[in-house]
Formats: sequence, C-alpha cells, structure tokens
Amino acid sequence: MKPSEREFAHPSPGTYLLTVSLAQQGYRLSSFCRSLMRPESRAAFKADEEGIMRAFGLSETEREMIRARDWLAMVRYGVNHFLVFRVAGTLGVGLTGTAAQMRGETLEEFRRTRRVWEER
Amino acid sequence: MARIVGGLGSPHAPAVGAAVDRHDEETPYWKPLFDGYRPMRAWLERAQPDVLILFSNDHFTSFFLDAIPTFAIGVAGVHEIADEGWGKRPLPPVPGDTDLAWHLSKSLVDEGFDPTVCHRMPLDHGCLSPLSALLSWTPRWPVRVIPILVNVLHFPIPTPARCFQLGQAVRRAAASYPDDLKVVVLGTGGLSHQLTGERFGYINPQWDAEFLDRLERDPESLAALRHQDFIERGGSESVEVILWLCMRGALSRQVRCIHRNYYHATLTGYAQVIYEDTENEVVAPSLRGAA
Repeated sequence: MKPSEREFAHPSPGTYLLTVSLAQQGYRLSSFCRSLMRPESRAAFKADEEGIMRAFGLSETEREMIRARDWLAMVRYGVNHFLVFRVAGTLGVGLTGTAAQMRGETLEEFRRTRRVWEER
Repeated sequence: MARIVGGLGSPHAPAVGAAVDRHDEETPYWKPLFDGYRPMRAWLERAQPDVLILFSNDHFTSFFLDAIPTFAIGVAGVHEIADEGWGKRPLPPVPGDTDLAWHLSKSLVDEGFDPTVCHRMPLDHGCLSPLSALLSWTPRWPVRVIPILVNVLHFPIPTPARCFQLGQAVRRAAASYPDDLKVVVLGTGGLSHQLTGERFGYINPQWDAEFLDRLERDPESLAALRHQDFIERGGSESVEVILWLCMRGALSRQVRCIHRNYYHATLTGYAQVIYEDTENEVVAPSLRGAA
C-alpha cells in the first residue's frame, strides 16, 4: 500500500477506513464473512468452525483472527466492520461485545462509558 | 409532476428494526426514540404520499467488493427483504415504483449522475429500519418506495457536495414526471457514531445539534465540508450523514422544520426530523383544516 493510501485509511488514532488495497488484502476473509448471510452456512460454521474455515481456504493468519475473536485485527486487515459483525453475530457476540473488544475493554468497562444501556 | 412535499430524517441502525420486531417501543431504553416517530407517522398519514424516495446505503448485503456502485437506484416493482446474517425480518416485500424509478434513472443520467440501475436489490436494515419504524405494513405497505443507495463504506465515497447535488437533481427529475404524484424524501442513518477501531462508540451530541441547525438553514455549508471533517467531528460512520444531504438537496431552499428529536443512545446519536417543503404544500390550501 502506498503511504498516501495508508494515511487515508488510518486518518487518526482508533479510526480505520476501508480503501482499495486494504479491501484487496481482506477480500477472501470478507467473502467468508459474507457467506454467513446464508442460514445453512451459519449452521455449518457454528457446528465446525475449523472445518468450514479450512474448506473456505482461509489462511492461517485469517483463521487465527476468527479463533481469537479478534475483531479489531479483522478491521485492520481490511474487512469492513459490517462484514465482521456477521462472523461475530454468528458466534453470539453482539455489537456491544464487538465494541468492547475493539476498544480493549471488558463489556462491563465499556458499559461504564455509556450514557444509556439496553437491558435485554 | 411528482411533487416533493417534504423530507424526513431517521436513523437506520439495525437495532431500531430489532426493537420494532420485539415491540420494544415503550421500553425505557427505546421510548425516547419511538416517541420521536409518533409525529412522523402522523405526518405521513396526513400527507398520504404515493412514493417515498429513500436515501440509504447498502451494508455489503446487495453489493460486495466485486462491484460497489457509488450511486444505485432500485427499479424493481417489488423489493425483497434481505437476510443479512440473522435471518430475514418478518416483513412483507416492499412495493417499488418502476415507472417513476425509470424516469428518475433516465433524468439523473441526462444530468450526468449515472446511477447503477438495479432490478434486484434486496433491502437491508439501511432501508427497513426506518420504513418499519415509520409505517405500518399490514395489511400492506401504504406507499411505494424507490431506494437510492449511496456508497459510504468503501473509499472513495462521493463527496458531500455531490450528494447534495444528487438531491437537487432528484427534485428536478420529479418535477418533470408526467403523472401527478405526491412524494416524500427520506434521509437515513447517522448522526454521530463510530463502529470500528479503538474509537468505537464515539458520539458527539454538540456536533449533531449543530449539524441539524445547519442542515435546516444552511445545508450548503455542510455540503462544502470534507469527509474528514465529518469523521473527526462525528466518528467514522457519521460520514453517512451525506445521505441526509441527499434528502435536503431534494427540498425547497427554505423548509419548515416541524419536528426534531434527538436521542443519545448507546452507540449512536439518533436524530429525527420533518421538513415541510415551502414550494410544494403537503395539503392543497383549499383542503387545509379539513384534515
């Protein structure tokens, strides 16, 4: 990635924008996330995470991000967050859980930073 | 002539649609938002628009990295409900308006906008959250919907100025439509929020208030900003307020703001507005008072 694109994609601390080179790097992992729009793919993934990731041809680096539930790593790698949410959601991690992980906080720590919180 | 009689602004977060599906409108968490929808629902019932032109964005649902339209218009007679990864929402398909969508597509191309024309573009939360909060869909959706989707997720994305101009072009296109229709434009998403990175959860209510003031009275000053200005002030995902600029561009220079609500929720600054067009009256003057 050219320095100019890198600067654009990471304009300030804690902020990541999806640009062309990043999206290219994240293409396969993004495709995997998108495959989870099909109910049968979600069921298969939940039943056998490793097997499905291998069958999809994800690299070891990519598989490790999912194993580690490292949503921030996926975003930095070039996967748009709405695609990340599909994997997180399938694995039972909601938006607030994803937020806490990316901020490097526990869910409770994140909750304490919020003005309101939805009890469910 | 398709008369644009007003514009609405609404969030489009998936959580809003989920709250509708759970009937959570009166819970302490959701009441501050859904109370803001009441006057909007009442206004729509009074206005009885034939068509809603809905400005939103896709969330890697209908489109993927394979092809990312900068502007896309849904011309289908019926829009499908998408399964985004959590199952389809229990909503009937949304009626479209192929004739007006064709007219808009052709007029926009003639004006140099070149939208991607989409015959199948299943709707995701970007369209369905606001529609389901604003309208009842039983026994059927009461209005035809033309979605115009703008890329806000994969850079480069269109400039704020271009989005404002798109709205203006939509207004001119509507005015040249041969049939007499009543149209409402809907801007969706925002306001401040960021859903990635260590800055996840950033909200800026002061900037949101300023944004709403300026959108009503001085939208050109917002259209002149850079993406980076919105990202710094409102968080990376707040850049989608360019969808509100599309809506505002489609309205008269002066608007009557008859409703404005703001709710600082967990992850997003939710805003709602009703702007009445001052050139095309919602109800013909002779009928005033009858409603």
